[in-house]
Amino acid sequence: MEPGSIRNRLQRIAHAAREMLYGMTTYEWAQSARRERAEVESLFVLVSFGDLVGLPILPPYYTLRLLPYVVPAINRWKRSLLRERDWTDLSDLIGGID
Amino acid sequence: MNSILVLILGAVVIYVGYFIYARRIDQNVIQPDAKKATPAKMFMDGVDFTPASRNVLFGYQFKSIAALGPITGPIIAVQWGWFPALLWIILGTFFIGWVQDYGAMMMGVRREGDSMGALSYKLISPRARNILMIFLYFYLLLIMGSFGNAVGKTLMINPKVPLGMIAVVLMGILAGQMTYKWKQDIIFTTAVTVALTFLGIWLSTTAPVAKFFNGLYGLPESPVWFLGNTQAQVIGTLLVIVFCYLGSVMPIWSFAQPINYISFWIVSLGVLGGVLGMLIWRPGMGDFPAFTKFTTASGPLWPMLFVTIACGAISGWHSLVSSSGTARQLEAETDAMPVGGGAMFMEMFFAIVAFLTATAAFGGFQGYQDAGGAGKALAVFSGGLANFLSHIGIPKDFGTAYGSVFLTIMALTIMQLVIRFMRVASAELVGEKFPAMKNVHVGTIVALILTLVFVWVIPWLTIWSAFGAANQLMAGLALMLIALWAMSEGRKHTWALYPAAFMIVTTLAALLYLAYDNFFVKLPKAATAQAGIAAVLVGVIALVLVIAAAILVYDGWKALRKPQEKKAPAKA
Repeated sequence: MEPGSIRNRLQRIAHAAREMLYGMTTYEWAQSARRERAEVESLFVLVSFGDLVGLPILPPYYTLRLLPYVVPAINRWKRSLLRERDWTDLSDLIGGID
Repeated sequence: MNSILVLILGAVVIYVGYFIYARRIDQNVIQPDAKKATPAKMFMDGVDFTPASRNVLFGYQFKSIAALGPITGPIIAVQWGWFPALLWIILGTFFIGWVQDYGAMMMGVRREGDSMGALSYKLISPRARNILMIFLYFYLLLIMGSFGNAVGKTLMINPKVPLGMIAVVLMGILAGQMTYKWKQDIIFTTAVTVALTFLGIWLSTTAPVAKFFNGLYGLPESPVWFLGNTQAQVIGTLLVIVFCYLGSVMPIWSFAQPINYISFWIVSLGVLGGVLGMLIWRPGMGDFPAFTKFTTASGPLWPMLFVTIACGAISGWHSLVSSSGTARQLEAETDAMPVGGGAMFMEMFFAIVAFLTATAAFGGFQGYQDAGGAGKALAVFSGGLANFLSHIGIPKDFGTAYGSVFLTIMALTIMQLVIRFMRVASAELVGEKFPAMKNVHVGTIVALILTLVFVWVIPWLTIWSAFGAANQLMAGLALMLIALWAMSEGRKHTWALYPAAFMIVTTLAALLYLAYDNFFVKLPKAATAQAGIAAVLVGVIALVLVIAAAILVYDGWKALRKPQEKKAPAKA
């Protein structure tokens, strides 16, 4: 086996180990930060574009001015807001339970 | 048998199970397609549905499924002898454990990231989802009761433990502040807080600290205070309750999350050191019997052994994490096997290490009994770990305190999140009728009062068996759901159906045994009000779970028959 390939293999193993460690430790922090950001974003879109789900709140003038900034988030916001949920959806919040 | 031989046996089982049996099912039956879009890609919302690399998800899945269960179960189960316990860990994982974790994950991926609740609604019956919720609530209560019992009434009453636990909490809070408020580097934060935690654990072994807690607990002869619990047990439990209260009401970034992070390092370094010590020492099991007797303090070998070792062989909770959590983050279908199956086989290895702390670390059966036996499984683990660590130069006194803090914090990190979960669940369930339940503090306090009742009233081995039975029953139902899903896709389903049948029959038998034992053996003999209440409580829970499971099995059976009825020619 060439030394280069051994080095490549070792690098791949080290990379995988780093990723696993990240998964076991701070990945949860990143997830939680994403969740918090999404909650704020979801509230903002609901306040400004609530009429998309039947809640007219802001006058259209302001809505139109905000529209270009919100367009990229609208699809995932609707999907996330309208998704049916139950308790079992919360189970990933208590990982490592047993 | 020598401990190294057991480890080698575990490695062989992992190789054969993962690379031959599991891979064959994966490639020939499920046939994952690496090019097919997964829910993480189709419904990406940046939160729940977010693709992540398989290595990251393996770490996440393993961390999510491996906690106190794979440690406690095997240590209690060796009371039937080492052979049945080891056999169930190995065969349970080989034929059932990975099937459930991997199957639930693939089912989630193929069914657009649906949770177990939604899947049971669609594949079994509309009422199946509500019944699953009942299961879940009882399951969580039993977790709180069993972990609270183990920590508050066993570990925390050791005067060398509380300061170490307080050190972990304070360092966790510091880690949260350093990361989120002071924007410090994570490596620097980790080094400082983990080092200070070890300093705190060491301080807890010093004479002045032990003297202080001896005084607080009224040791050496701690007087009985309440419902048969000693002063040390009452104070120990209340410390646990305060911790859980803070974990439930404080922002997750400032308390629960950083404490989990610090405890990860404390636990990982402990396991690593323990395995290293074991490899250097290479102890045998001495006179530890392969088989003791059919009926022990936990009940008859069948069905009770199979619910005593839950995680480490199979656990129903994994199906929830696999479907709702990990399945929504898989980048490709082909990642499900290394993530779901791989993490389960790894957990089996973890369970084997725990098994060896009971069987090999004390030189024989008498040593295991002297360390506390099945009744004090966590004390056995901390003592066994200390024995292993002593072979890499760590003093036994420090090793025992370290092992106890390790287990305490492992249980507490879970308990604080379960209370948080119960608070949210009860607000949703009864919040409309009782608006007060929507209040964060009220919801938390109600959940904690229920926990206290379970901890103070129900004996440890009984509550562990009830918890294991609820957990394993959920596993049986998850396996039934996987079989139904495989059938709905026109694939072979016996690989999930036979394990489902075994798990459902075994756990129903365990619950019926628990109900019988509590109503007809323990209740008539109950000498105190506490013993009577405990017997009624456990008996009622067991019966509720049996009825709920019977409805689910009936609905599941009808759902299983449906496609066959369609195929059968119509009668004239």
